[in-house]
Amino acid sequence: MAVENTGAPAGAPAPQEKGKQQAKSTVANTPATTGGDAAGEQKLTPAQLKAKAKAEKAARRAKAKEVKEVPPAAAVADAKGGKSGKGGKQEGSQSAGSQQQGKSVPGRRPSVNGRRPSVAIIKEDPRSSIPECFSHVAMAKRIQTSQAHKDVHPAVLAVGQQMATFALKDSIARLEATLLAFKKVIESYETPKGNSLSRHFVPHVLNPQIEYLTECRPMSFSMGNAIRFLKSQVNKFDIDTPEDEAKESLLEFIDIFINERITLAEVVISKNAAELIDEDGVVLTYGRHRLVEKTILRAKANGKSFAVSVIDDPYDQGGKELAKTLQQAGIRVFYSPNLGGVRAHLERASNVLLGTEAIFANGSLHAPAGTADVAMAASAANVKVVALCETINFDRERVSVDSLTYNEIDPERCSAESFRLMFDNTHSKYIAGVITEFESGTDFAPAQAILTLLRKREDPTIA
Amino acid sequence: MASSQMSYAPTLGKLLKSLNTQPLEASIEALIYLLKRRQVKGDDVANATAHMLLQVVAKSKWQNVDQLLAKVSNTGHRLAQAAPTEQVIGNVVRRVMGLIRDEASEDRNADEMGDSVSDLSQLPTTPTISTRPGPTPLRAATLPMSKSMFNLLCVSETAQSPVTGASTPMSQGASANMHALRSEVIDGIEEIMDEISQADDQIAGFADIQIHPGDYVLAYLPSPTVERFLLKAAAKRRFTVFIASAERQKPGEVPHAALRKKLNGLGVNAISLASNGLMAYMPRVNKVVISAKAVYANGGISTESGCSTAARAAQEYSKPVIVLSGVYKFCPVDPSDDGTEFEQGDSSTYVDYADGEAVDALEVENIVGEYLPPQYVDVYLTNLGPQTRDHLATIMADHYKLEDMGLSLHLP
Repeated sequence: MAVENTGAPAGAPAPQEKGKQQAKSTVANTPATTGGDAAGEQKLTPAQLKAKAKAEKAARRAKAKEVKEVPPAAAVADAKGGKSGKGGKQEGSQSAGSQQQGKSVPGRRPSVNGRRPSVAIIKEDPRSSIPECFSHVAMAKRIQTSQAHKDVHPAVLAVGQQMATFALKDSIARLEATLLAFKKVIESYETPKGNSLSRHFVPHVLNPQIEYLTECRPMSFSMGNAIRFLKSQVNKFDIDTPEDEAKESLLEFIDIFINERITLAEVVISKNAAELIDEDGVVLTYGRHRLVEKTILRAKANGKSFAVSVIDDPYDQGGKELAKTLQQAGIRVFYSPNLGGVRAHLERASNVLLGTEAIFANGSLHAPAGTADVAMAASAANVKVVALCETINFDRERVSVDSLTYNEIDPERCSAESFRLMFDNTHSKYIAGVITEFESGTDFAPAQAILTLLRKREDPTIA
Repeated sequence: MASSQMSYAPTLGKLLKSLNTQPLEASIEALIYLLKRRQVKGDDVANATAHMLLQVVAKSKWQNVDQLLAKVSNTGHRLAQAAPTEQVIGNVVRRVMGLIRDEASEDRNADEMGDSVSDLSQLPTTPTISTRPGPTPLRAATLPMSKSMFNLLCVSETAQSPVTGASTPMSQGASANMHALRSEVIDGIEEIMDEISQADDQIAGFADIQIHPGDYVLAYLPSPTVERFLLKAAAKRRFTVFIASAERQKPGEVPHAALRKKLNGLGVNAISLASNGLMAYMPRVNKVVISAKAVYANGGISTESGCSTAARAAQEYSKPVIVLSGVYKFCPVDPSDDGTEFEQGDSSTYVDYADGEAVDALEVENIVGEYLPPQYVDVYLTNLGPQTRDHLATIMADHYKLEDMGLSLHLP
């Protein structure tokens, strides 16, 4: 267990300090605490203790984000400081502090002698800094690979890590990586004696993978949909189907699935959406989305001349990359680094293309934070808003009317010092049209008609 | 000498200190450069303008009210040209011009009563009233004699000429009157300066009425006015503040750290939102507090860029938008008449000059100021208390003379 900490560089030094991590999460005020100890040793009444503990708690909250990033040197120095000062006061006051913290009490006590809990604390800490009012919102977290369930396939482990670190970010990229990893899982699967693939594979092999991925980062809706399809495919096998045949069929299913729902969908959507771009018009978009980028590049390749306004999120800056890419393709680009410019840019925009992460059953968009503001400003300025989305991203069960129901917290910004939700919810009334791969030509499926669209998809051969 | 002083890291503070020592023209020029470089912005602009107009009244040469008005409006014109988006300059100029008209007509009314004796008795006291150095004391010492004698002669004449505003011809060479007028106007400008400096405190006085226990308050780019408001409320109430800004922080930089620390110290939870779009948070928010750079006659406000995003999101969820604004920011013009709807700013904070690809290629437009239409504002919280849009015209009529309402400083 002690050598496990190779994964997260930031967390690495901490476990070596035998769980001092917790005590040291008050890194910033440790010097102050020790200083104050010497001076105020005698006058620590219970009330003072309480006040001190409170102050520590506040400091800990503020610093919690930095805990992960404590440079090794600091941590070591801290550990030393902690040891020397441990004898009396500091220990007392700190345990008072952790008593108020409830959750961390059990974590702290054993941490003095055992190293295991420290790992657990590292996992707990980022969440504890989340402001109360957002504590229900999910957040991706890094799980050290050695902490994962033993049944998790190495390919899935890698995908999980990439998702937790946002190397795989948007829903389709995650879906594709997941499916490819599942192919590896299927390839290496061997049905145990006396079992059948159709009975054994899902509960004993596939589910641990899914659990692990969900732990790394909440599943995207597309992943949920795909996994449902995959499971129903497995269930279709007769109990006597030979293993090789079943595996072959599953692999083929996944290939077709990726081909149809991801690769071809992208081509069809970009083709249809490119037709919406007006000659000599100005297309406005927000952030960087693969489908929007493809659409614009395709329209350019089709010989249209137009300009693009890119509104960016200053905390993400994906739009800047998009702007540069488009510029290199010879498109005139206006770039607004923040949403402040959205109204000015809308004045000359002829339509708005938005990429989305998912679409809810009530037709609202689940898209990168800020999309709702852009859509709203656009509809106020009477500029048509078109959302691009693969049908695999449609969620048929969930309904969302505000952004706090289904959302994720940016793990890099999860404390009161800097807090960020990754998505927001765009009401369907702001959307003039949704383009999916099942739309032909320039027909529009208004967001309200999405359920109909989905029913059309309710095709026995697929689901 | 004066210029060497200013050439080295000019700031408003230094300028205000040096006002007494350097020539009027140099001070005006210095302020113009500060305005042009946007080194003076926000709430400082009003204060700086008032200081400068006070210098104009005190130091420049003028023989009658018309000349004074012309000088004030001319200086205002130059300042406004330097910072066309700062409507407050125009407001202060209008206030000062209104003040001059008031004082001028009062003087004449006093004269009508033939009260030249009291006029005379006032004169020796004027140098002590105006503590501003400059030419005033010298004049006071040399001129009283001729002034008082002249007053005796011209009493009847002034009585005949009714006050008709800017075009009113003053009795020629009424320098005693002019001298009294000068000191009264200076007093008046000082009152305006007091009003400007106290506005924030007075607005904060209404904080605990607006903010209730348990509220979630969204403060978009909190200005000093908003900060004071929140801190005042924090002294009485337990609530949560979301602080939002459109600026990108450099790694390790904590946004609004000082404000957060103060609020936390008062037991109020302050959360910095690292987000540009605010729709995501709006279901949680109870009210939005922003501060205005200027409030237009139609109720629209000139404000920091991004406020319209916040206000629109608030409207979507029917959350009230409270605009904090001193009355001195009320601007009796329509937004279309004056200035521009958007103000562009430095884009290098977002696109690095080291990023050659981007520098060459992109047309970066960093909007730093914008106009927020009136339909997004629910309450205007002024130093005179909360106001609604319907009442704005009355307030403006109270504070500006009809003659000055149409004053436009932005025409070439």
